[in-house]
Amino acid sequence: MSGSYGTFSAKEEERRKRTTSDRALIRRVYHYAQAYKRNLRIGVAATVIGAFTGLAAPYMHAIAIDNIIEPPTLLVKRFGISVLGRPYLAGFLWWIPLFAAIILSNYVFQYIQTYQMRIVGEKVVAKMRDDMMDKLQVISLRYFSEGEAGRIISRPTNDANTVRIFLRLGLTSILIDISSILGAFSIMFYLDLRLSLLAMAVLPVAILLVWVLGKYSRAAYRRALITTSGLTARMQEDLAGMKVTQAYAQEKETEKKFQKTQDANVKATIRAILIGSSYTPFVIGLRLIGTAIILYYGVAALLAGTIQLGILVAFTEYQFSYFMPLVDLVTMYDQYQSCMSAIERMFDVIDTKVEVVDVQPERSIALP
Amino acid sequence: MFENVYIDSTCFLYAKIIMSIAKPLLDYAKSLNPQKGFAQSFSTFKRLMKYHRKYPWYLAAITILALIRAILFAIEPLYTYYIIVNVIGPPTNTSLLPGYLLVIVLAGTGYAISNFVLTYVHGIMSQYIVRDIRSEYYRALQRKSFSFYDSVGVGDLTSRATVDLQLVDSFLRTWLGTILNAVFFTIIILIIIYPISPIMTLISLVSMPFIFYFTTRLWTETMPLFMNMQLIMGRLTSYIQQNIVGMKTIRIFRQEEDVVDGFKGVEDIYVNTAISAGKIQSIYMPLGPAILTLGIALVYVYAGYTLSTNQALAVIEVGNIILFARYMMRLTFPIRDVSQTIGTWIAAYAGLERVLKMTDAPREVEDAPGARDVKIEKGKLELENVTFGYVKDRPVLTNVSFTVQPGEKIAILGATGSGKSSLIYLIPRFYDIQSGSIKIDGTDIREFKLASLRRQIGVVLQDVFLFSGTIRENIAFGKPDASNDEIVQAAKSARIHDFVASLPNGYDTPVGERGVTLSGGQKQRITIARALVSNPRILIMDDSLSFVDAKTEQEIQSAIEEATKTRTTLIIAQRFSTIKTAEKILVLENGSVAEFGSHEELIAKDGVYKRVYETQFVEKASPMLEEAGGS
Repeated sequence: MSGSYGTFSAKEEERRKRTTSDRALIRRVYHYAQAYKRNLRIGVAATVIGAFTGLAAPYMHAIAIDNIIEPPTLLVKRFGISVLGRPYLAGFLWWIPLFAAIILSNYVFQYIQTYQMRIVGEKVVAKMRDDMMDKLQVISLRYFSEGEAGRIISRPTNDANTVRIFLRLGLTSILIDISSILGAFSIMFYLDLRLSLLAMAVLPVAILLVWVLGKYSRAAYRRALITTSGLTARMQEDLAGMKVTQAYAQEKETEKKFQKTQDANVKATIRAILIGSSYTPFVIGLRLIGTAIILYYGVAALLAGTIQLGILVAFTEYQFSYFMPLVDLVTMYDQYQSCMSAIERMFDVIDTKVEVVDVQPERSIALP
Repeated sequence: MFENVYIDSTCFLYAKIIMSIAKPLLDYAKSLNPQKGFAQSFSTFKRLMKYHRKYPWYLAAITILALIRAILFAIEPLYTYYIIVNVIGPPTNTSLLPGYLLVIVLAGTGYAISNFVLTYVHGIMSQYIVRDIRSEYYRALQRKSFSFYDSVGVGDLTSRATVDLQLVDSFLRTWLGTILNAVFFTIIILIIIYPISPIMTLISLVSMPFIFYFTTRLWTETMPLFMNMQLIMGRLTSYIQQNIVGMKTIRIFRQEEDVVDGFKGVEDIYVNTAISAGKIQSIYMPLGPAILTLGIALVYVYAGYTLSTNQALAVIEVGNIILFARYMMRLTFPIRDVSQTIGTWIAAYAGLERVLKMTDAPREVEDAPGARDVKIEKGKLELENVTFGYVKDRPVLTNVSFTVQPGEKIAILGATGSGKSSLIYLIPRFYDIQSGSIKIDGTDIREFKLASLRRQIGVVLQDVFLFSGTIRENIAFGKPDASNDEIVQAAKSARIHDFVASLPNGYDTPVGERGVTLSGGQKQRITIARALVSNPRILIMDDSLSFVDAKTEQEIQSAIEEATKTRTTLIIAQRFSTIKTAEKILVLENGSVAEFGSHEELIAKDGVYKRVYETQFVEKASPMLEEAGGS
């Protein structure tokens, strides 16, 4: 700490461009995951199957409505035929066990997915951190020159944590989102091609909107992040210089400066929240327009007898279950980017060349 | 021990910390008590609520918006139900369809807008509260004593105000909205579906107690684990910090393997705890939605049973069943959100604890009642039977008494741990003495207002620290309204003016990362100028010339000579050139005054000073060991 001007600035770190491609980074992380290949495979498989079983539920409702409940009800309503004692509802005898089995297997797959991915995430990051710590013990002392400490410390701590959280939550939600979207699309196309195309009419607009507004939002968040780095740097400097501040009784003056930096951060963050949440109303609005389209044409088709009620209801549910993951995926992009940057910085430590094994000063022996 | 007068104390400190850290850390991680945390989390939550009190309007707005949002969220399934019942029929009535669809779209848009406003308002409140907590934390840190900053890393303190508060922030951003949403939405659904079919409503409620039970289990079982994880992570982080900051020392003492082994031991515990927590989470988290969905099957069973037994069929409409099923599917979202919020709270709680722990610590040095502004006219300094220790009953200084006449310069000599720094830091009350008295011009220093005392004493600390900013700002740090003449005068006395004047931007040159790179000697002379700018009568200097070359040493020496000419000075001396110019020399040994007098007097006395003088200064021992010690 002595002889330094405050500490390192996280700003520079944030602004630095990445030089390694995503694919190279992913390949190297995958190399770490090799030791937990089994967990990884089981986890990914469970995630995908889990997402599909989750999608089966609305379809099961459609079957229940169209094939089991509706026929006897219609008999009663339209033709006044009593269904008492008739075996129309026997369908439930197979439907309920099947439904329960699907829900239970969905639960089991979710359990396996969460647990296995957790193991992979924690172990991989721990292994990377170990390698960093090992490397730090042997690389040249020049690496630890003044002002660099903060930068180095943040790699096995902050960066490792970013990657940990991404492997734990981000990666699984990306997998779930993609499977849900693809699964929902396939089921919808299978159920009714025309209605699917109508339901998806609003999709391009939604994606475009999220992408464009997302750009503004990302920029706003990056600005907020820079003010956060500024706040961190200010905090570090103020604390490092606290003895000087106290020695000259300048506590009030330094606090004033600190508050200015903090206010800038608060303002930038509030702005980022505003812009970041501004596109959700549009997305939800578009989704509802999609629902209205489905209902409008769906009811017509229903009355014309081309589709059944259960299918129509299932459609609105599927539309619900692919729209949100899609928005989620677009917003996940930022998390993915910052994870990649963190991984690159971690490998930067691991890859540092050991120049010379430091010669230990002979005089150290003289110490008691 | 006295022979080690040259060895920097920090060197030992690091070695001791690093070598002793591994085992206690392991024991600590193993000893963490999982039960205790749960109750404490409630009291921490209550404290967090107190921070909300300042923002009643935001709370009210969030509540109202959450209610509106929940009502509008319930509209779409209800109107789909109307479409099924009234449009499709029988009897079929398509003229109603456009109206219903319009309601669905409008209600949905209203939902989206209220959701947006709610997120925004919630976000603003969270930023304000985080700001309040951080400011309180900052002010608390300003009151901490020097020994606190010697024992705690700046990185750790900073990460509490940033990383830990970010965890609190992510909880604050949504928590109230999420909980209110779950409550309001459940109530609204019940209000809508109960009149349609009381029995089916009760059937759909069957799953609720189970969901509640398992959510509670999730909470009670993972909470302690997560808390432990965060505590261990905090330790792990400071471990990494110590390792990186003290790398030089670790290499010298060849502790690399021990350090890495200790680190890996703690990390293993961390990873295992994280995985156990993950296992519990993966059991309970997806359970709520699963149970709720299974509840839908119950609705079907009932519907099927009624259809085949009840003649009237009045209670069963296909539309009803669809409405019930869809509401229950919708209800899985708030339930999932609530269990996620619980997860964020666990993380936020551990973070908040770390922050509040610092905020709560009492102030160590304070203005005494009746303290006043006293002007120091002459600068006479009297210490009488001063006893001081950082920990009670473990005195660092015992019964120290001596008097310094105005304008006199005293060089203080002593081995590592003899109490040199402690002694000079007592004068501006960086620490308070336990007994005895310190007087300036006959007034006890505790009668001074703290700010008044400190502003009249020039201090040059051992840590050569400059703030980012211009050279001018750094010199005028203790007197922000200093005139240009005063600044130049101070710089001239500190022998740095010529250098500063040679810079293209002169005194307005920024220092630090984006400014000019200064040498150790230049930085030190700026810190001397900083001490001189208010023209203090008393100067205390922790002279750390240890890591500069001969030429720089000469320059600094000349700056010190000029600066101390007319002022009462206490200076911790590392070398003979400093001692030579002092009127008197004070030799400290084990916290007591061993010898006090002029150079000639002490040589004549033939005591410890003479021995040190002959072995250390005459032979000019190499300063290499200090170099090894770093700072």
